[in-house]
Amino acid sequence: MTLARKYLNAILRSRKLLIQTLLLCFALMIFTPFLMIVLRSVGRGWFGRLWLPPELTLDWYRWAVEVTNIVEITKNTLVIALLAVLMSTVIAIPTGWALGRRNIPGRELLMSILLLPRMIPPIAFALGVAQIFYRTDLINTHIGVALAHVSICAPFAILILSATFEALDERLLEASGVCGANPIRTFIHVVFPLILPGVLASMIFTFTTSYNEFTLTLMTYGKDTVTLPVRTYLAIGEGYWEVTSAMSILLIIPSIIVLFMIQRQVAPEKLVGGFKGV
Amino acid sequence: MLKRGSKARFILITLLLLSPGLLTFFLLFFYPMMVTLTRSLRPEGEQIGWTLEHYVTFLAEPRAREVILLTFVLSIGAVLCSVLLSIPLGLALRQKLRAHRFYRLTMITPRVVPGLIGALGLLLLFGSRGWVNLFLIRFVPFVNEPISINYTIPGLILFYTWLYFPFIALTTLAALEGLDPAIEEAADVAGANRWQVLRHVVIPLITPAILAGSVLTFMAAFGAFSIPLIAGGNHRPLSVEIYRQIDFTPARWSAASARAMIMAVLQVIFLTIYMRVLRRPIT
Amino acid sequence: MPDYMIELRDVTKRYGDLVANDNVTLQIRRGELMTLLGPSGCGKTTALRCITGHNIPDEGRVFIDGEDVTDVPTYKRELGMVFQSFALFPHMTVFGNVEFPLMIRRMNKAERREWVMDALRMIRMEEYEDHYPRQISGGQQQRVGLARALVYRPKVLLLDEPLSNLDAKLREEMRFEIRDLIDRLGITAVYVTHDQAEALALSDRVAVRNAGHIEQVGMPDEIYDLPQTRFVADFIGLSEFLAGTLSAVHTEERTATVAVDGLEIHVPATPEMAPGRKVLFFIRPNDIELLPASQESGINVFVGVVEKKTYLGDRSDYRVRVSEGLELRVQTDGKVRFEEGENVKVHLPIPHCRVIVE
Repeated sequence: MTLARKYLNAILRSRKLLIQTLLLCFALMIFTPFLMIVLRSVGRGWFGRLWLPPELTLDWYRWAVEVTNIVEITKNTLVIALLAVLMSTVIAIPTGWALGRRNIPGRELLMSILLLPRMIPPIAFALGVAQIFYRTDLINTHIGVALAHVSICAPFAILILSATFEALDERLLEASGVCGANPIRTFIHVVFPLILPGVLASMIFTFTTSYNEFTLTLMTYGKDTVTLPVRTYLAIGEGYWEVTSAMSILLIIPSIIVLFMIQRQVAPEKLVGGFKGV
Repeated sequence: MLKRGSKARFILITLLLLSPGLLTFFLLFFYPMMVTLTRSLRPEGEQIGWTLEHYVTFLAEPRAREVILLTFVLSIGAVLCSVLLSIPLGLALRQKLRAHRFYRLTMITPRVVPGLIGALGLLLLFGSRGWVNLFLIRFVPFVNEPISINYTIPGLILFYTWLYFPFIALTTLAALEGLDPAIEEAADVAGANRWQVLRHVVIPLITPAILAGSVLTFMAAFGAFSIPLIAGGNHRPLSVEIYRQIDFTPARWSAASARAMIMAVLQVIFLTIYMRVLRRPIT
Repeated sequence: MPDYMIELRDVTKRYGDLVANDNVTLQIRRGELMTLLGPSGCGKTTALRCITGHNIPDEGRVFIDGEDVTDVPTYKRELGMVFQSFALFPHMTVFGNVEFPLMIRRMNKAERREWVMDALRMIRMEEYEDHYPRQISGGQQQRVGLARALVYRPKVLLLDEPLSNLDAKLREEMRFEIRDLIDRLGITAVYVTHDQAEALALSDRVAVRNAGHIEQVGMPDEIYDLPQTRFVADFIGLSEFLAGTLSAVHTEERTATVAVDGLEIHVPATPEMAPGRKVLFFIRPNDIELLPASQESGINVFVGVVEKKTYLGDRSDYRVRVSEGLELRVQTDGKVRFEEGENVKVHLPIPHCRVIVE
């Protein structure tokens, strides 16, 4: 108890220590839920008032791999996410260019209309998407689920890209023209390097959105297009928490890898995306 | 001046460039919304005929008011808690102390991992056997039995906050970092102590950013689906209420659609009012 | 009553390996305007922040009005401060900004209004009380900053490069206005700047700083006419520095001669001079007289050739070669005209010749 009191006194004396302590508590608040999942996934016989599981085991992971087709699910999720990224980017580049660089009357209004899907709860139009997909046999196809994701990914991609294109300095393009570069060479040597960070940010954002998307997937998936979030949901429903935990850990690994791969290239804030736009 | 021919060409090219975005909007948003709207006006299971009965029966239920109220309580509660968390967090993070980058990554983690997994971890942490209850029983006097947090409204608000606070935290931090340090020093020299500087200078200056971030948190929380679906228990906000209509056989698509339309309209109305208030000069 | 309003006693402040203030001692008298002058990065702002309390010195003590305030938080130090970036509160009107220090001090409303309006009248801004900072010009914003700093009648006014963000014409106007206000209020002021013209025009005393320490403290004319170090001479105005040796000291005439690159230059003598010592000789280009070649020779008159001439409107700038390895820079007013290649005589008037004994 004296140690705790000593620490308390130190905190009251030093503002820095107080802030560090608060930040540590904050990090605990964010990370302990994941720690709980990890502990649950490797523990056996963890009942009653125990801080740690009494016995460690990897059985739940074996179960998780045997019961659920992890490889298949990860593949589904990645394929759908990549399709969504591809389609959103292809849609957003011309539209973002027009919005960012062309003098369009009513540009603000047009932008807010295009962003409308982000303002309506996804479940509201997911109902309509599902009914349309049932009619057109897009249910339970990768392209179908990806299309559903595009409905909310594309608006943000357009938002990010139009801002990127708008920031392009007209004089640089003119300078390149004056230097004798034709439009294609201008694009390759001047425009492309300048817009690359924006395009990358938009793709990363689209990818994480699609990878984590639950509502629209739940309304359009089938037995061949089960994705990571949907599988987690189904597992939680099944009620075997140890197995569910093991599965979650396996399924979360790709998103952690993505996070670590990109956090050096792109400011982490970009992952939450376009908050200035609304 | 552009010649008439080139002007027409300019418009044509602009429209061509805009068309992918517009097409996406109409096919993947507007058309589904229309389908939802039409469905909500059809008798259940029919392809013809018009009726308002789905709206009327839902709104006539006493549950309807409960569900709508709950949806608002959860999202506004999440916004308020997020603001209360974000201000001290932003103030601490802008000092750029040790492990600054780590804490910045920590801040966005809930937005990067799937929400369902976050919710699972929270359920485990706050459950009757979770660490939080073990801690309370061990260290807090007069707590001898686990406190139920999961599947309660305060518990849900806590989960929502965990998941959706980064929007507000990011805008708040950005605003704090954009402040001219001289402004706070000016207040300090003028005789304001730390608390007075915060109250009279810092908070008023970052309020617009907090409000902008809170729009995003509110929208996300209002439409939240995965968290209340697995962690809501008997507390069902609108999104879960909608899903329940089609989760069981026979699926009641029209009833679900009517509730979805009500939800969309409520959100648009609320956002419009909110934006109006935001536009009003705060100073 | 203590003699000094502000005193820094052996103050040292480090940032990692960088010593921004190395054992600095500085005394500022009651009612005087002291300028800390130096290039950016010389630690003058750090010294100012030690006075405000935004920096806590690693060693040494800070006194305000005889009281050791080293550990007193800023807000209890009763100071007024004007900032380079103006630092007005953007969410408050002009009135609200000036009222802020009084509101914090819980003065009653009616009295507050009176004091604020007094302060606004002082800077001729009373009509702008309802304007927001973004609605008024830079010069007006800085005047409001001044009113906010002075409204509660602090013991000391601190000014951190207050004119750097204004354009040249306004800067000169504001200079007089600030000096005038300080005279009227009789307040002690510390003024930080990197602009030597500003420092010389405004100050009662100037402390010239260089890389963490103070080079020289003195009245503006002392600093200008009798710089004690090469740095001060260099920073205060254009000077030619010539390395030489003292060849003789003439006690009766109170002069000495310095051998510089074959020339014997007469300079005023100072006590520490002794033959054989290495010295730095310098003279300001505009103190050198340029004479026609027909002029008679005399003390400190040397023969030279105009190598290069630059016409600058109100004056001309010449490079004159006076010996094999020695070229002097000379500035004359527009009336004197010589051409490139012309033979001339150069006169270095003794009172303007300065020597720093190394």
